[in-house]
Amino acid sequence: MKKTEVCLTVNGVTHHLGLSPNALLLNVLRDELGLTGAKYGCGTGQCGLCTVLVNGRAVLSCLTLAVAVDGADIVTVEGLSRPDGSLDPIQEAFLDHGAIQCGYCTPAMVITAKDLLNRNAHPTEPEIREQIEGTLCRCTGYLSIVRAIKSCGDRAGAPAPRPSPMKKSR
Amino acid sequence: MNTRILKAEFDYFAPASIGEALALIAQNGPTARFIAGGTDLLVQMKLETVAPGCLISLMKISELSVLKREKGFLRIGAAVTWDRILAFGSEDRSYPALDDAVRCLGKVQVRRMGTIGGNLCTASPAADSAPALLVYDSRVRLVSARGRRTLLLDKYFLGVQQTARAADEIMTEIRIPAPRPDVGGAFQKLARVGADISKISCAVAVERKGRVCVSCRVAMGAVAPVPLMIRGVPEFLQEKTVTASLLVTAGRMISDEIRPITDVRSTAEYRKQVAGVLFRDVFQKAWTRAGGEP
Repeated sequence: MKKTEVCLTVNGVTHHLGLSPNALLLNVLRDELGLTGAKYGCGTGQCGLCTVLVNGRAVLSCLTLAVAVDGADIVTVEGLSRPDGSLDPIQEAFLDHGAIQCGYCTPAMVITAKDLLNRNAHPTEPEIREQIEGTLCRCTGYLSIVRAIKSCGDRAGAPAPRPSPMKKSR
Repeated sequence: MNTRILKAEFDYFAPASIGEALALIAQNGPTARFIAGGTDLLVQMKLETVAPGCLISLMKISELSVLKREKGFLRIGAAVTWDRILAFGSEDRSYPALDDAVRCLGKVQVRRMGTIGGNLCTASPAADSAPALLVYDSRVRLVSARGRRTLLLDKYFLGVQQTARAADEIMTEIRIPAPRPDVGGAFQKLARVGADISKISCAVAVERKGRVCVSCRVAMGAVAPVPLMIRGVPEFLQEKTVTASLLVTAGRMISDEIRPITDVRSTAEYRKQVAGVLFRDVFQKAWTRAGGEP
């Protein structure tokens, strides 16, 4: 199989890698770049543990061909903390609320939450639950996880009213 | 089965135009496959149920990502991802059944990756978008080296993962006619958890005048080898005053018409039993949305 050059900007650092078409983004991150935050869970798109941000959107890295995201900007959990090592507010919130048990789902959960908070600074509980629906926690620590994400939204500033511009359903 | 890696070896192309994609499928022989979001095809490749020698990605072709209203139709490019359709639906409430379907179609990550064309090309009998698109009388546009054609979605599904699309044909877009006024729509599915594959699903579009059902369309998923257009009930309900007992009879007709199987998600018996109830719930929702008298 011919290797092609793939350019990936991961957590702000640009990498030029020679990759086979069958290289999956998850394995490139973990095995080539040593970023082991994103986890292998089911490999078939059911557990969500391999979730990373590709161009700001949470996707499953175990079902993403690295060649298909050539030129993309990728953020893994390792990229959330600031250069001085201080944590992102969502990471702090997970710690504050004990939203971590075995920790295996935590990187994906944090990234999935980040994806929501980037679009919606004050998500409601139903919105949070819908967002994390596809990211499984085998410790079943969902209540703390939901509370952590909620607190992060509450902390993000004055609680904004969330008018819904819904027109009449037809 | 090791699903951590993709063992299969293949060539990969990401053409920028339809012409280029058609040339590539012709050059790379019968084992070449088109790929869109990959949420289904890559799983099948990991499980070694398919082994394409060449993947031709359709995600860089701008023509396939159109999403706009034009000349009485909503045009949705085949490579449009579900999250875009969801965002469109929250602005434009013309197709609430489709909106309902997209909301429960998968988890957020899959809605970011998966495409409407991919869903229709995979052609699972349980594809959640299919019943909703069927009740809106949608058409699919296909293109190959032989030319372009438009098919009614109702004529497109042929069997379990079998469609009228030839292997060298690209689905370019889905066209949904603008609904008539006073048409309400709804979709609902039964599944173990929200983002799961349906045990059974139902979509209804109903045109209402006061308490009279002027016309309706009903389609169901996971009850037959194809997403199924229901034939008997629309005729039965046409121009009738809608009452609870009328809908009970219609529900029984649906249970009789469907041809479900028993599989890992449910049994044929349960699907038959629940189909009529599900229909009534979905019809009621569509009916309320259609407005008119309460």
